[in-house]
Amino acid sequence: MHPRQRERMVRFLDDLRAAEAAAAEVLVAWIAVCPLDGLRGGLRAIAEREAVHADLLAERLRELDVPATAAVAEPVQRAALARFGSAAVSDEEKLGLLLARYPDDGAATHPILEILAEFEHDLETRELLRLIAEGEGATLAWFRAYHAGL
Amino acid sequence: MPFERVRVIGLLDAFQAAERAGADAMERWVAACRDPRLRGGLRVIQARDRRHAVLVEARLRALGGQPSARPSRELAALCEVVADPGISDRSKLAALLARSPAPGSAPLREFVERVEGDAETRALLETIDDEERASLAWLHRMRDTLEREDA
Repeated sequence: MHPRQRERMVRFLDDLRAAEAAAAEVLVAWIAVCPLDGLRGGLRAIAEREAVHADLLAERLRELDVPATAAVAEPVQRAALARFGSAAVSDEEKLGLLLARYPDDGAATHPILEILAEFEHDLETRELLRLIAEGEGATLAWFRAYHAGL
Repeated sequence: MPFERVRVIGLLDAFQAAERAGADAMERWVAACRDPRLRGGLRVIQARDRRHAVLVEARLRALGGQPSARPSRELAALCEVVADPGISDRSKLAALLARSPAPGSAPLREFVERVEGDAETRALLETIDDEERASLAWLHRMRDTLEREDA
């Protein structure tokens, strides 16, 4: 494998790990102020889903002997925590913000599915990513369905 | 404690015990599995099942319960098969899928519908069900792939 290709693959894994860990943290902040029982129940499972993805990717990076160094920019994460962890911002607004970022369920899964072909020499990571992508699709579908029901 | 809450706690307790037993068995399967594709997906499924058990146990404790359930004899037997390093991956997949609903169906739907008057628990289980459905679909695809390769 060309070193540049490997570099691109491991960077993708590390960036995704950082994004999933950051998302889990934001969701936990949201749960703490969420007054809607049904939404809170879904958020709990989805926050755990994101945390599991981050843990699995971190573990895989360790096995590949790659240090996990990526991080979501601190101002971005701070702003997300402030907004989604605020009781003054309605749940409907939070859901709207989240869904505006992902106009369809494929918006979160496409970047992962597109890179799968590059993992033809690392089938373990490829299948791991495939199931993570499906989890991301399920997350958006659940948020969309909940938002539509409000 | 109201009867309905006691009933929900009982359901959650049975579920957390099943998920924990499943995760333990999957962990041993992953350790013995030599097919990297299968191992990659099984790792995700195992990690999710483990978190499901933790989440559901937390919910049952929040409702005032204590976990005490054990997996059914049938599930324990299936877990022994899944965890056995001497049994082939194909046989394990066949045993697991023979006990599972068809791909595309919601494995926990019936269970979720039995939870009444508790929107948080219901949403928690519905969201877990999304993952169970994805896991099941992936296991079916992997079984089909291995069968094609062995044909």
